Amino acid sequence: MRQRILTSLMVLTAVLASVLLVTVPVIGQAPAKAKKSAYTPPKLPWGDPDLQGLWPGTDLIEVPLQRDLKAGERVEVTEEEFAQRQAKAERTAANDKVEYVAKDSKVGINPPGYWLEHGRPQKITSLVVDPPNGRIPDLTEQAKQKAAQAKQAKQGHGPNESPEDQSLYDRCISRGVMGSILPVIYNNGTQIVQGPGYVAIRYEMIHETKIIPLDGRPHPSSNVKSYMGDARGHWEGNTLVIETTNFLGDKNGIGLNGGGTPHSADMVLTEKWTRTAPDMMEYTATINDPKTWVKPWTLRMPLRLNPEFPLYEYACHEGNYAMFNMLRGARADEAAAEAAKAAKK
Amino acid sequence: MRKTLSLGVAALGCLLAVSPVRAHHAFAAEYDAKKQVRLEGVVTAMEWINPHAWIHIDVTGPDGKVTSWMVEGGSPNILLRRGFNKNTLEKGQHITVDGFQAKDGSNRANGSNITYPDGKKLFLGSSGTGAPVDPGPGK
Repeated sequence: MRQRILTSLMVLTAVLASVLLVTVPVIGQAPAKAKKSAYTPPKLPWGDPDLQGLWPGTDLIEVPLQRDLKAGERVEVTEEEFAQRQAKAERTAANDKVEYVAKDSKVGINPPGYWLEHGRPQKITSLVVDPPNGRIPDLTEQAKQKAAQAKQAKQGHGPNESPEDQSLYDRCISRGVMGSILPVIYNNGTQIVQGPGYVAIRYEMIHETKIIPLDGRPHPSSNVKSYMGDARGHWEGNTLVIETTNFLGDKNGIGLNGGGTPHSADMVLTEKWTRTAPDMMEYTATINDPKTWVKPWTLRMPLRLNPEFPLYEYACHEGNYAMFNMLRGARADEAAAEAAKAAKK
Repeated sequence: MRKTLSLGVAALGCLLAVSPVRAHHAFAAEYDAKKQVRLEGVVTAMEWINPHAWIHIDVTGPDGKVTSWMVEGGSPNILLRRGFNKNTLEKGQHITVDGFQAKDGSNRANGSNITYPDGKKLFLGSSGTGAPVDPGPGK
């Protein structure tokens, strides 16, 4: 009997020791995490942390998604580089305020720069923070083959043969789950609205709204797929953790406006929203798509609360005259090419 | 007020002037970089629509013939944030548009520079600073 108790105690000790060993590295990371969440956000009447408000990504417009190779693992720019960014922002602001068109102003095919939103100078070198070099990991062999096949299928096919040749963004359909939040030249509005048991996140351009139940219900069958996927959330302390699955694959990428290499239907996206100050939100997104990238990768965005950035409506199909113009333009180009060919004969 | 329509073939240099800014869609797919236009006309309507706003103008040619044009503007949401609203550009306002004509030859143009008759830029300003002063027609 005594022997049995002794054995049990030894087993228990061994288990406890292994648990401690396993948890040591986690404890080692704890101070940084604790420092990050030192701020305690106010609570909503039903007890959830209050993340509500307008969190546009506008400040980050000039921060590249991937880090310049030259910066290596440097997460912040040097003082000199930051001064350059500040000087550039000042020049842009000054140009924006020039009231009259200069006599020698060049006429371009794009709209004027003062119609765009501009960011605030940032110290961070990239939005991608993991891998540590700030670069999107390599594509898998499967994804490389798929990209090659897609390129092959486009051979001899013009960019505007049908409306479907345009991106889902140009077609006013969807910028996808990450394209909806990555900062772009305009309309970066993002809003969080909370209710008991739910969080809703609204994205201005192409007007997506993600409804996130917090009650732990499972994802639907994998047969149910959408551009934005199926989101489920829970709280880890004051951090809202959202896991999204059930995507339509081979549609949108994890790039600006849904560009870049399309993710697969099996991607699992984990987003974390942590309020770090009354007016600051730490947002991270981890992309885990083993069919597309050789390892998971994470991007991070510090978002600033801006109550003066309300979301405006974004009905898009009705006025998308550009689609008509691009298709008509391509037909005109073809007719001109045919006429030129006939004239040569 | 003199209203003219002048269509000029752009020099090759204009191709080089194309800025790398990527708007909602590729303007280069819509407009012909070899058909530069300067349109001086009168606003007949302003469509505050996504993805880009459109300004409708009537342009009177040297022969007195009136031609209606549509000019592609920026995203209405940012124009609103920059202080513009539905009253900023009234019917009857004279404006000048420098841009390029649609590839299919229809009367549509992009607006690289859009100005009031005195050369002041249209849709200038930023949120918080208020809308630019537009004297409007006959004021």
